[in-house]
Amino acid sequence: MWLYEYEGSALFRDEGILVPDYALATSAEEARRKAEELGLPVVIKAQVLTGGRWLAGGVQFARSADEVEEVSRRILNSSIRGLPVPRVMVAQKVEVEREFYLGVTVDGYSGMPVVILSTEGGVSIEVTARDHPERVISRQVDIITGLQPSEAEQMAQQAGLEGEELRQVARLLHTLYRFFRKYDALIVEINPLVRSRQGTYFALDAKVEIDDSSLYRHPELKVTMEEHISHPLERKGHQLGVTYVDLDGEIGIIASGAGLGMATMDAVSRCFRPANFLETGGAISADLLYQVMELVMQKQGLKAIFINLYGGINPIEEAARGIVRYLKEHPTTMPIVAKALGNRQEETWKILESGGIRVVSGVATESGVELLARLLEKDR
Amino acid sequence: MSILLNRDTRVLVQGITGRAGRAQTRWMLDYGTNIVAGVTPGRGGEEVEGIPVYDTVARAVSERGVEAAVIFVPPPAVKDAALQAIESGVRVIAVVTEHMPVHDAMLLKAHTVGRKVWLVGPTSPGIITPGQAKIGIMPGNVFTPGRIGVISRSGTLSYEISVNLTAAGLGQSTVVGIGGDPVVFTGMVELLELFSNDPDTDAVVVVGEVGGVQEEQAAGFIAQRMTKPVVAYIAGQNAPQGKRMGHAGAIVRGDAGSAESKMTALREAGAEIARYPLEVVSLVTKHL
Repeated sequence: MWLYEYEGSALFRDEGILVPDYALATSAEEARRKAEELGLPVVIKAQVLTGGRWLAGGVQFARSADEVEEVSRRILNSSIRGLPVPRVMVAQKVEVEREFYLGVTVDGYSGMPVVILSTEGGVSIEVTARDHPERVISRQVDIITGLQPSEAEQMAQQAGLEGEELRQVARLLHTLYRFFRKYDALIVEINPLVRSRQGTYFALDAKVEIDDSSLYRHPELKVTMEEHISHPLERKGHQLGVTYVDLDGEIGIIASGAGLGMATMDAVSRCFRPANFLETGGAISADLLYQVMELVMQKQGLKAIFINLYGGINPIEEAARGIVRYLKEHPTTMPIVAKALGNRQEETWKILESGGIRVVSGVATESGVELLARLLEKDR
Repeated sequence: MSILLNRDTRVLVQGITGRAGRAQTRWMLDYGTNIVAGVTPGRGGEEVEGIPVYDTVARAVSERGVEAAVIFVPPPAVKDAALQAIESGVRVIAVVTEHMPVHDAMLLKAHTVGRKVWLVGPTSPGIITPGQAKIGIMPGNVFTPGRIGVISRSGTLSYEISVNLTAAGLGQSTVVGIGGDPVVFTGMVELLELFSNDPDTDAVVVVGEVGGVQEEQAAGFIAQRMTKPVVAYIAGQNAPQGKRMGHAGAIVRGDAGSAESKMTALREAGAEIARYPLEVVSLVTKHL
């Protein structure tokens, strides 16, 4: 789960990482008031859970109260990469002398934390790694012993820092690593970390992703997943305990596993466009599949549904009962094709067919797509 | 032989008294798995499906002799359950549990360094040597004995690929689900090496998906050291950027982790690339 910048900034402060004074506003008038309290000039930043805010005009400076109001109104009325902007952060502007990048993330292959430092702040680390690999210092950390202060100092030295600058940056790297461990983060980034003209080090952004599987042990975060999912159908999916990803096509997809769901999307995409990706996970019940049908059917412009199930840990005959109960209560003329294999497959087929669902006889997902194509052709 | 598991392997089920553990123990026994013990702390002395339950892994190992374990305990308990099995000298361990905290997975992986243990998962469907034994949750009826090795990040997709191979008369030597999390214990490279050295495997199917660098690392191994044909399918060719596709590790970040980059790396390494699951069958056939 990505945290909003203002949530990450508050946590940074708790851990001793300085951020410029800021306030939140949901209207242009409120932004003006807050800016006057903080003192001008300020920077106005859209609070949205997506990257690329700068390019989309979501981060702007304002020198006067009138300008604050005008800029805030424009940002609050805009959308950034398709997401509405419910609030802006108004923050004191810092006179920047030097910028850095600091990050800690999970190296998927080694399975170790990796700490990254660069003297190129304010640009994405992927871009720096591509254009100036010599300016990216990274180090894998033994998670059992943790990042030692001396290791952080070595990294700062490798980056060409010395004296007070080396000491400050190393201290912040070490603090950031502890932050990463404390909050079960997948990614924490300070980009940029800046040294101000007065020699103070500030985090000018807070990019934090917490591991969803660890939220249960972080009640102190006082955040819920629902507040951090922007799309209403995706939010609904999360409430049900399934993964729903909204797409812009016309074929609804329900799959009993993530890989199967993606492969179903790939197969469907050969002839049509998927309307969604939906993966039930391993806790199928009749009630869940009833609600999953309800969710998928809400999508505008839906023309057909493809259901792809394997009975391993999942009781697929229960899935079939839930789907058919939904269809009996909400009859539809829309073609629905299902493939179901594994434990209790014969029983599952009978139940699905009793609800008017066309069950694919072959074992390949592709044969289901062909059947779908024939049914939709006939509809025309 | 096959890799990791056969009909004689003595198996322990951790979390055997839970709902999933109990139901899956029945399915595994029906398949022929040699389950010799179960563990649930506080439930020692009970029986599940005729299998004796112990309080600790150490006791189960000393009394019953255990070579492999399959773990069904809830996410917060996985790290300690697996550590117990490692400390007791269990050789093959499959973690089926989904939603294990990623930092716990990193800690656990750090504890396996330098030890002779095959720890698979988390979020793994398990391991099956068709016709002999399975430790995990996969449905037995989609697999058939044969000479094709399968390595998959996704459980359901390992079933889909195997059922297609089975329908074409191509059985599987062993099928291993490595799991779809951002950190997995045993990666594709280690398993490619096992299959490469297995006299009963003629070719290997690698089933990848978007996110991470497993497939790129596998490509490195294939280019340099793989001695057998490899066919790969990468799921999520139409996955949007920045969205988690059900698996915690299945996410495209910027240019990194896209299906396209994985397919290119594997193709350049000499693997055959299937564009969709069914194409795996014809590509495997071509090389036999």
